Amino acid sequence: MSNSDNHDHDHGHRPPAPMVDEVSDFEALEVAVRELCIEKGLFTQDDHNEWTEYMHTLGPLPAARLVAKAWLDDDYKQLCIDDPVKASLEVGIDWITSMPSNFGTPSDYCNPRILVDAPKLKHVVVCTLCSCYPRPILGQSPEWYRTPNYRRRMVRWPRQVLSEFGLQLPEDVEIRVADSNQKTRYVVMPVRPEGTDGWSEDQLAEIVTRDCLIGVAQPHPDRKVDDKRPVISAIHPYGH
Amino acid sequence: MSKSHHVEKATGVGDPQCFKGEAPPPKFNVGDKVRIRNLPDIFYTRSQMYLREAEATVVKLVYESPPAEDEAWDNTDSPEWFYSLLFKQTDLWPDYPKKFEADTLETELSERWLEGL
Repeated sequence: MSNSDNHDHDHGHRPPAPMVDEVSDFEALEVAVRELCIEKGLFTQDDHNEWTEYMHTLGPLPAARLVAKAWLDDDYKQLCIDDPVKASLEVGIDWITSMPSNFGTPSDYCNPRILVDAPKLKHVVVCTLCSCYPRPILGQSPEWYRTPNYRRRMVRWPRQVLSEFGLQLPEDVEIRVADSNQKTRYVVMPVRPEGTDGWSEDQLAEIVTRDCLIGVAQPHPDRKVDDKRPVISAIHPYGH
Repeated sequence: MSKSHHVEKATGVGDPQCFKGEAPPPKFNVGDKVRIRNLPDIFYTRSQMYLREAEATVVKLVYESPPAEDEAWDNTDSPEWFYSLLFKQTDLWPDYPKKFEADTLETELSERWLEGL
């Protein structure tokens, strides 16, 4: 390691926070509310285990399949626009009867909407309030989606934020930011990229990654996983 | 297991689907120009400050539902129409670059937040 690790003077360094099994205030609150619900008989511990396991089975594959099907079938694409709940059934997702509530939860209200991109129109989704996300069809949101940084900046400087994700759009493309602040949960249907002629539904579904469905990336024939987020070092790190 | 009336109503039907037909007729139609009202929002709202007093165009009547300001208190007595609204970014943010004048933002608000232009 470099010499900087060996310095013997004190200019305000603090050791990094220890990585211990601390319980945050929110975790303590969740446990307290959960135990209260179980004591009151609203649900059982077995119910809770079942729901937790169910949440971990969710992911973006059904939404990727939905987009791939729509790329190949104009009637299905129209169904995605007119009745996304019905269109979701064809990829195995029932918004209405999914666990735990059978009518949607605050984060999964049953009003999905598919935002269809065009060559001169690019949608991108954010929830400025907190973390609304189409979880039944897209799984848990990525950590960055829930950060104040993304939420407050995406509505205000969408072109700059998209370029930080590696997506630089020409001036003549309209960017439409969808702020998911009520009961609609948005999924972006990107434009089918060039170089995919003759591809099967399976092949197409593989390139529709989670980031494409949020709108911060465009599908590319050579990319089947989302790019890693760049880590930009702080200019003035904490403690200096 | 006891259930509130909202749960009974929504189970197997969906929320906001369970409020269909309960709102008074919509005051606005697709294409109408509206201004967002700056109402007081003591305790709870989902109507963001950056939208207040901005102008927008109605692009879709999306569903009927109790507004979030009521629903937060388990008051589901007065559902109203919700609208998907399109804003020009240059209207929302004074220094949004003019060369990106075509950029827009779409979001939803309930009827009480809108006044016709």
